Amino acid sequence: MIFNAVNNARFIFEGKTTILLLLSVVFFFAPTEASAQKKFSKSYPASQNVRLQLLNRSGTVTVEGWDRQEVSISAYLETPAANVAPQSLSGTIYINLVKDNQGRGDVGSVNFTIRVPYDSKVDIETKVGNLNVSNVRGGFVRAHISSDGDITLSNIASGVVSAQNGIGNIFFDGEIQSGGNYRFTSMRGDINLRVPSNSAFRLVATAPSTRSINLGSFSGGNMRFVGDGRRVVGQFGDGSATMTVTNQRGTIAFIRR
Amino acid sequence: MNCEECQENLSVYLDGELDESVSMSVRTHLTLCMECAKLCEDFAVILDTCQTEPPSEIIPPNSQALWCRISNSIEGDIKPPSVEEKPQQGWRFSFLQVGSAVLGIALISSLLTVVGIKNYFEPSGEDFTSRSAATQTTFEKILSKVGIADTPYEARMRRMKEQESAISYWDKRVQAQRAKWDNKMRDAFDRNLNEINQTVKEYTMILQQNPDDDLSGEMLDSALNDKMNLLRDFSEL
Repeated sequence: MIFNAVNNARFIFEGKTTILLLLSVVFFFAPTEASAQKKFSKSYPASQNVRLQLLNRSGTVTVEGWDRQEVSISAYLETPAANVAPQSLSGTIYINLVKDNQGRGDVGSVNFTIRVPYDSKVDIETKVGNLNVSNVRGGFVRAHISSDGDITLSNIASGVVSAQNGIGNIFFDGEIQSGGNYRFTSMRGDINLRVPSNSAFRLVATAPSTRSINLGSFSGGNMRFVGDGRRVVGQFGDGSATMTVTNQRGTIAFIRR
Repeated sequence: MNCEECQENLSVYLDGELDESVSMSVRTHLTLCMECAKLCEDFAVILDTCQTEPPSEIIPPNSQALWCRISNSIEGDIKPPSVEEKPQQGWRFSFLQVGSAVLGIALISSLLTVVGIKNYFEPSGEDFTSRSAATQTTFEKILSKVGIADTPYEARMRRMKEQESAISYWDKRVQAQRAKWDNKMRDAFDRNLNEINQTVKEYTMILQQNPDDDLSGEMLDSALNDKMNLLRDFSEL
């Protein structure tokens, strides 16, 4: 009887020990798993009108304007194998993950957060993933996604803006500058453009599949629907800027800022 | 014996190979006919010269007269030129016709220059390949009619052919590379390619029903460009 009780106690003790050991193993490896995401950081002094040119494979890219004359790059690598090697040449910061990881399948996603001076020119591109640009007023902003991903451009005051994606939404919130050129193109998704009510532009907006083109407060005046309602052409204000919006299988909407 | 018979036998006569009777007839004719006698004399001199002197020194006596006779004989064989007046070759234009032609050439040249300068300095934002016959200018229609320029349909077909050829090239490269992609990349590519293919299919059907639909032509062109760019972008991974 006593022997059995001792045995039971011993069994319980051993069981608890096993659980504790297992838990310790779990806790030991858990932080390791989290820290598998490698971080890369680097800063460059920036000249006036610095240009950022980034080509990513997969992942989210966020570019923010700030009041320092330097470019700060932070990259979070899903797999440590990915190679990130920025270069600064003649006033341009180049980051090309496609070239730096050519022919490799183990690269995974790389998420960038890049801070640039307000006056920077921004040219970012990715094969898959979201692109965000905010607080930039340099010469141009270009955001291009080859396939899936959303583009968000907020508080932009650039004369040339181009945003293009495959499947995904495009949101633009910014100024339309006189003589500027603005182009937004998507295969499927929603294109929402938030611009000041005193903007002046010539518009060609095409949504042939959905025929959903909502001009909001920009309707009327010289705007007219053509091609059985698949396209809107016209002019708002003195029409000094040019805006071309094409959404093959999605919608287009204008919102007053 | 007449002159013709005499001249036919003259060479054999001089060689002394004629029958006596024919030889007598020739001799008789030669005494009567000065022309045949002269010809006989010339022949005799030639034969004699050939027999006695080397060919390089052959200079017939009275060669001028011999060449004159040869020349006369040749001229006698040639038919005299027709006295009919030949009609004058070439065109004749009145002053009015020439003036009109010059004015026409000047007008066409001016038009071509104006169109050329306009196209050079103001390139049209509109892609000709996406246009229909309805939006063609009269000048473009004329050029299309005479075969100088493509019609919008021909231009679109040509452009599509070029795009399909480029798509085929990039597609081969993508097929060679896609095994290296991860699943996320592969899914995104397939989803987008499928979306574009559906779009292309839709516009192709619309254009089959209505080839003059400008907008669908333009959208088809754009979708094919998107497809080409998608393939090219992913082929470099």
